[in-house]
Amino acid sequence: MEPDERDDIVFHGTLQQLVEKVERGEMVPKLQASHAPMCKFFTSFYVISGIRHVVPLVHGPTGCPLWVSDIVRTRECCEFRGVPLEPTACTSLDETNVIYGGEGKLLEAVKEADERYHPDLIVILSCCCSGIIGDDVESVAREAEKFVHARVLALRSEGFGGDFRSGYEDAFELIMDLMEPPKTIRKRTINLIGARMGPSLTEFSDDLDEITKLLHEVGVKINAVIAGGCTVEEIRRAREVELNASWCYDWGQKLGDAMEARFGIPYSRTGQPYGLKATEEWLMGIARPLGLEKEAERVIREETERIRPDLDYLQRTLEGKTAIIEISEFPGPIRALSLARMAEECGAHPVVINVHPYTIKERMPSIKFLLETGVNPEVILTKGLFRLGSFRSSRETERELEGIVSSFDDPIFFGNAARYPGCPVVNLTLLNPVYLPHYGFRGIHNIAALLRQAMENQRLPRSTLFRGMLYGNETS
Amino acid sequence: MPTDACLDPYVRCALSGAAQTALGVSDSAVLAHAPQGCNYLVDGAFSWQDCDYAQTTTLCTKLCEDEIVHGGEELLARTILEAKELDISALFVLSACGPEIVGDDIVAVCEDMQPKVDFKIIPIECAGFRGSQYDGIDLALDAMLRTLAETRPTIPNSVCLVAPHANANPTWMADLAWVKDVLSRLGVQVVATLTHATPLSDLADVAAAEGVLQLSHDAGYRAVAYLADTFGVEPLCAELPLPIGMTNARRWLTSLGERFDAEPIAENMIADGERMVTETCRRRWPMARFFYRTPAAIVADATIGIPLVRFATEEMELTPALVALRSANLDAERLLERELNELGLAPQVVCGTDVYTTRRSLEAVRPRVVFGSTIERHASEGLDVPYIFEVVRPVRQFRLLNREYFGYRGILNLLECIQNEWSDRWRSTQRRYAARW
Repeated sequence: MEPDERDDIVFHGTLQQLVEKVERGEMVPKLQASHAPMCKFFTSFYVISGIRHVVPLVHGPTGCPLWVSDIVRTRECCEFRGVPLEPTACTSLDETNVIYGGEGKLLEAVKEADERYHPDLIVILSCCCSGIIGDDVESVAREAEKFVHARVLALRSEGFGGDFRSGYEDAFELIMDLMEPPKTIRKRTINLIGARMGPSLTEFSDDLDEITKLLHEVGVKINAVIAGGCTVEEIRRAREVELNASWCYDWGQKLGDAMEARFGIPYSRTGQPYGLKATEEWLMGIARPLGLEKEAERVIREETERIRPDLDYLQRTLEGKTAIIEISEFPGPIRALSLARMAEECGAHPVVINVHPYTIKERMPSIKFLLETGVNPEVILTKGLFRLGSFRSSRETERELEGIVSSFDDPIFFGNAARYPGCPVVNLTLLNPVYLPHYGFRGIHNIAALLRQAMENQRLPRSTLFRGMLYGNETS
Repeated sequence: MPTDACLDPYVRCALSGAAQTALGVSDSAVLAHAPQGCNYLVDGAFSWQDCDYAQTTTLCTKLCEDEIVHGGEELLARTILEAKELDISALFVLSACGPEIVGDDIVAVCEDMQPKVDFKIIPIECAGFRGSQYDGIDLALDAMLRTLAETRPTIPNSVCLVAPHANANPTWMADLAWVKDVLSRLGVQVVATLTHATPLSDLADVAAAEGVLQLSHDAGYRAVAYLADTFGVEPLCAELPLPIGMTNARRWLTSLGERFDAEPIAENMIADGERMVTETCRRRWPMARFFYRTPAAIVADATIGIPLVRFATEEMELTPALVALRSANLDAERLLERELNELGLAPQVVCGTDVYTTRRSLEAVRPRVVFGSTIERHASEGLDVPYIFEVVRPVRQFRLLNREYFGYRGILNLLECIQNEWSDRWRSTQRRYAARW
């Protein structure tokens, strides 16, 4: 059955057409209960806790900080990332504070946090509670600074106050307040912006390691990865650089634009470095303004030569194929679109499946940027995407995916191994460190290896155990 | 005792505890009337209750600025109607901080919507600011009992079990399973478990139980009091630490045996259990048994922490020098005090500890052994604590199978944990030279 004849498809068109529909509100999900990404508070917290020796001081009840601190801080950061146990302080607002206000308690908390943890920076994060009762966190921050050694800033990050993206953006904007007028301009030095690594889990470091390595080879120095484990001192000197670049256009865009507008620091606008062209663009986008074109061209030439067999394999294998792309795991649609571009570059016809309109809405500036650069793949959305409940949604989308894949000639699935589409599966999960990074030249090598695995082993049986775990058996 | 102005907490908020409790009722769904971030607490509660995502759905009204300004009751009503397509017996509606402060009346909305849906709607007002996750468990149990429990003829030799999930053993379900097995062998029927995989109908029958067994020292006191005061259900083993370690297990089983006229069965269980533990140790020969009077810290919830005091002192021959409990309630504190007096111990005691206070207490006491979690492993960095036995959440080791701490296999599970940490401590991290092959 052709895709357009299927009754489980709710949208089939180009990315441009989907964006237009989302902008008209046509694809905005009707079900409030479905698809709940993180709230503004979480994402603000993530950015702030990516700074070393910071105390994120949560002005709210204990539930707000604990989700992020208990799982992310202890398990992911201390265990996997070599980050020491950092504090997550909280004013633990109770019913009395909600009635009478919590500003006095907050002031005490700042003093205590300074005395206990000796931080360089304390950031007060407001939550739903403190936001609604109207506690003036900015004034408390200003007042508190008189009593403590650390800088004290306040961030309005009430969970209801915006989508998850606004939390990142507001936190990045706040960080700008720490940036001091430059004493000098450091040649060939940049900031990598839009990262959120450090005491909190946000991104996978392998991709960042790859692009950092490339930059060093070109001769670019990095002042800070903001806020990927950077120090307050590095942020203070962030205006001494010649250029800002983002490791992912989507996440750096707001801070890059804001630093350009406020401080006149140019921002290199490029997409994620997936595949050869995007990697070249990414590297040249930084090297050119710094006068390092020749060095960058040399690195690109050498690295390209090194992975030539991988590039040839990708081209030879993908030519004329349909690349069905579904990125259901973090970080979602931008990655799917970057992969679509890479697949097209290798001669395949990309079809992006099930990017949630909600996430399109949240990432509109970046999606529009990608459209401007010519990324406009075919997109299919199915009914299952809008089903109530994660199990029902994933089971239904799995069935739909299997049906859709069978309607294409020579399909190859680019997603993760949690799908069983009956064609080669290129397992692009970020949860298998063996094949990371996906960025840059080593990324091309890894993606080629994953494609080779998929093609050479496509006849091997898939796991009925894991399939049953994910989607139930026929009776469930 | 830490100040409450600047807390680095171990324990989540009331919404989280209420969600843990609601998700323990099978054949139901949970709807968080909350901004979308709070739904992550509900998701956390989901795994805590060992829910199967193929069978349990969680929903959220995803409140935004509009609903905070204009109220979210209409959105809540609409979302309840959306849940009509789910095949469930009950929908628990949980309110978070935002809607409670702006005055959304979830109880009234639920009453209005009840005639329009086939499932039972149970509102639970459990905003995060109402207290800790243990308070949330109490709020949810209270709402459930007041809404659903009915007067029933008493069933002889029966009990209901309260708050098995207020237990920081990462696989506390095994503790519950041990209790149920013991009761079954004593000829005691379990009328209802509040809550874990509990059918809705059991909640209506709960007052038919002759006795109530509280399976937590952190939560459930209010539910036990309510069942006793309203329906005359008798609290059992109320003055005893939970059955972790030889003596605690013996006392607990003996008490139940006496109450249900099943002393010989209880005595046999004790004899068999103690023999099994001793013989297993003799066969497997755990090396981690030379801690004689080494100073130890216990940093845990009260449910595991209080009984561990005796286990550490008697079975392991350690000397508890610090007992830091994540929760603070008077009943648990009294129980701990009794235990310490009986054992003749005078450790530093902290109730309602937070991560900072724990670090400072460890710094002051300088124990050589800590029973705790991954948090203490990292919080004790630089303090030269050789052994961190990770027994309470969060722990590094993944568990696919449930492991109890209660009862006799529970003793072996704890010993296994201790032995593995002991082996890790001795593991070489460097090679003196390279092999030639």
